[in-house]
Amino acid sequence: MSEQHMIRQGMMRRITDEAAQAWAIAVKDVRIYYFTPPMVMMGLLMPFFMFFSFSVRRGLGPEAGMARLLALTTFFTASSAGPVIIPLERRMRTFDRLLAAPVSLVTILLGKMVVGIFFGLAVSLVPLVLGLVFFHVEIANPPLLALCFLLSTTAFSTLGLLFASAPGQSVGSILMPSTLLRWPLMFISGVFVPLEEMSPWVRAVSYISPLTYSQDLMNQALLGGGAQSLALDLILLPLFLVLFLIPAMKLHDWSRRLGY
Amino acid sequence: MPDEAAIEVEALTRYYGELLAVDHVSFEVQRGEIFGFLGPNGAGKTTTIRMLTTLLEPTEGTARINGYDITRQAHQAKHQFGVVPEESNVYRELSAWDNLIFTSKLYRVPRGEAGRRARELLEIFGLYEKRDVKVEFFSKGMRRRLTIAMGLLHRPPVLFLDEPTTGLDVQSARAIKDLLRELNRQGTTVFLTTHQIEEANQLCNRVAIINHGQIAAIDTPERLKRDFQSVQSVEVAFDRWQEGHRQGLAQLPGVSSAVRQGDKTRLYTDNPPALLEKVMSFARQRGLRVITLNTLGPSLEDVFLKITGQEVGFVVSAQPNGTVRHGPGEEDRGPGRRGRRRR
Repeated sequence: MSEQHMIRQGMMRRITDEAAQAWAIAVKDVRIYYFTPPMVMMGLLMPFFMFFSFSVRRGLGPEAGMARLLALTTFFTASSAGPVIIPLERRMRTFDRLLAAPVSLVTILLGKMVVGIFFGLAVSLVPLVLGLVFFHVEIANPPLLALCFLLSTTAFSTLGLLFASAPGQSVGSILMPSTLLRWPLMFISGVFVPLEEMSPWVRAVSYISPLTYSQDLMNQALLGGGAQSLALDLILLPLFLVLFLIPAMKLHDWSRRLGY
Repeated sequence: MPDEAAIEVEALTRYYGELLAVDHVSFEVQRGEIFGFLGPNGAGKTTTIRMLTTLLEPTEGTARINGYDITRQAHQAKHQFGVVPEESNVYRELSAWDNLIFTSKLYRVPRGEAGRRARELLEIFGLYEKRDVKVEFFSKGMRRRLTIAMGLLHRPPVLFLDEPTTGLDVQSARAIKDLLRELNRQGTTVFLTTHQIEEANQLCNRVAIINHGQIAAIDTPERLKRDFQSVQSVEVAFDRWQEGHRQGLAQLPGVSSAVRQGDKTRLYTDNPPALLEKVMSFARQRGLRVITLNTLGPSLEDVFLKITGQEVGFVVSAQPNGTVRHGPGEEDRGPGRRGRRRR
């Protein structure tokens, strides 16, 4: 067997090992943390509260309302996983257990990212199913909606990892600032005020928010059209994933070096 | 790699900002040893163990576990050791069984083998009957045993334990010490940090004493004791005791300090045989009957106190305002003996 072949085999083995480890971490987290109070409060109740606070009596059609609610739920739920789970695990020292195991930091973070994706998908499916059954919501482009779910939950879950990279062992000290950062994004992303109705400078600011592209993609999938190009949404959401993931990994590594 | 040391540490150093926590520490642990890392609180024990287990990056220096560098070959090094941290970091929401199975997945132990090992470990640690109970309902000792089991599931050749018996009752602590001896008999190299000197004395082939981030001494417990023969003492108990007796004993020629320990008094001296006659004479003069009279060599605790800057026989007492004072307390000093404040 050539040396190159052995190196290739070793790499393949390492990749399959790390994928299996990331999956094991994700499944464990789902079992332990899905119904912890901070997850329920910030991930489950918050988007519904925000939706009903700002959207009732606005004469929204069922599809427009659903697009708005789905953007909010994916945003809040997927981005809550990291800021809840990681400081909790640091405090209980179970994060050390992961770091001392033969698992790379990237794999640990990917495992946590998958948890956010699952959480975002699971919670968002509830209003979607209710909307389909009780409000006869019609989906203009179901495959696009599925793609939108996947891209949005992935990008927002990674945003959660970025929030959780701040050194700290208290859920409150990480979750509260992350919530303060997430709130303004709702108001500049076309969730409550459509992008077309925004003043030019607010519209310019909206481009920096990942929620803008998620909301527009939801509109494209449910209503059949959005305020900006579909290609822009499809390119920018994965780009945000990369933009969040790289600093998240670097900052987590930095936190690890500091010993939290 | 049969001739290599299990753990090789070279000038390992760690700063926390300006604070130097571990200062160019170097030592080796041979395969099959039980090695104790002793030191007072804040001496750098936990920082050292966290660096050795890759949880903390050294500021300078490095270490190798079974030949694998902890910084450049961290992935391979992590396969070589198991860790039992000071805090039992088990998943309380999961059962004992699920904790072990999750650990097996982290270390990529094959599924069938993982089940067999989990069962075996749970039986050894007396937890098999409780395997499906959530760990949050476990006692502290049970959680400790499960943490050790999780550290052993992938059968590591080296096991790191940080204060393994702290806070446990006597039975649990003894069970863990017996288990460590058995693991060591089977070939596992054990590195443990502790501030319980007697535990180290009973368990360890060699000990290192760390103080203010530096290794102050490293040797077998017996050799360390031999090197500190100046810390010898005479232990005496009389049939009656009055407060003035201690001062009288402390003033006997050759006594450096006298410490009351329960119903006995320990007299530190460089020359125990010469002191015996003086103690008997002291008793006769006061009409006291001697119940016990022993000469004692230095204990590992004496050596530890001497090395870490707290002089032997010097008592640390808590003050009403919560501060800690180093002072005579239940002790009287002989002439010319002064206590030194530990930093």
